[in-house]
Amino acid sequence: MGVMADRLGASLDTQASTREFGTWMASEQKRIFLLCRRLLQDVEEADSATQDAFLKAWQALNRPELKELEDAGRWLTRIAVNTCLDRLRSRRWQFWRKRPNQQDEQSILELAATGGPNAEDHFFATEIAGKLEGALEKLSLRQRAVFTLRHYEDRSMAEIAEILDLDIGTVKVHLFRATAKLREELHDLYFRH
Amino acid sequence: MKHWNENDFSEWLYGLKNEDHHLEECPECRGEMQRLRTVRARITEQPEISQDFLAAQRRGIYRRLYEPRHNWAMLRWALPAVMVLVMVFGLTLQRSRRAAPAISDEQLFSDLTAIEQSAEPRAIAPMHKLFEQ
Repeated sequence: MGVMADRLGASLDTQASTREFGTWMASEQKRIFLLCRRLLQDVEEADSATQDAFLKAWQALNRPELKELEDAGRWLTRIAVNTCLDRLRSRRWQFWRKRPNQQDEQSILELAATGGPNAEDHFFATEIAGKLEGALEKLSLRQRAVFTLRHYEDRSMAEIAEILDLDIGTVKVHLFRATAKLREELHDLYFRH
Repeated sequence: MKHWNENDFSEWLYGLKNEDHHLEECPECRGEMQRLRTVRARITEQPEISQDFLAAQRRGIYRRLYEPRHNWAMLRWALPAVMVLVMVFGLTLQRSRRAAPAISDEQLFSDLTAIEQSAEPRAIAPMHKLFEQ
């Protein structure tokens, strides 16, 4: 969470200005887009969900009844996760939906050149990370959201509980079930040398 | 001394298991823990995203910030509402067709007079028929 997010949180007594919002958006955009992509598994849809999330944030920030935010980054994450969950729920009925194009994904995303000592490490990281992302489809929506927030964003149980509006016990249950379902992928990820 | 197994390490990685006394004493398990931390950091490293893509996304957001707001929520309810209205209309139409045929005032008054003049209630009539045979 960037410094701008805190500044934005502090400046919410008045209306959020476009410039402040723009700076904050630029600092959070990549994280939010990646979160949406991991949840939705589709670049195009993640792009649209990211735009929706920022738009909702902007509209909420301009409502006079909004109180000062304690953590603007977490608040935005909550908006983004809920936007993605809504899309995933409605996707169940969209049997005509086209599958995401892998080539489009490649042109937008490239795994960062790791600081690892050799190309083999990089290849391993890309391959296994891709396998794990694909396996997220096995999880229920809640399990996917909990696992994504824990694994990729390294959020604490309390933060995840707040973002998803669940109690900590429920978050632990979802995470436990998610790791059990992903046992094979996690084994490959961490223990196959 | 029982070493941590894969499940223990997985649960620890995801915050489902706390570090215990064994880890303090076992350099082997501590080493494995460190290795797993490194692997996780590498695996969850954020991919680079095309700057052109991000810029286009920001333009899209800015464009939408000042667009007039459409109330799509209303449209979402429009189809179910129309369906309910059609059903209600259909039911009303069906009921009105099934309603008892109207009788003339003359017929009504003659029935009332017959009821008034009869010493027995009309409900007894079917019972009489039983004894007629």
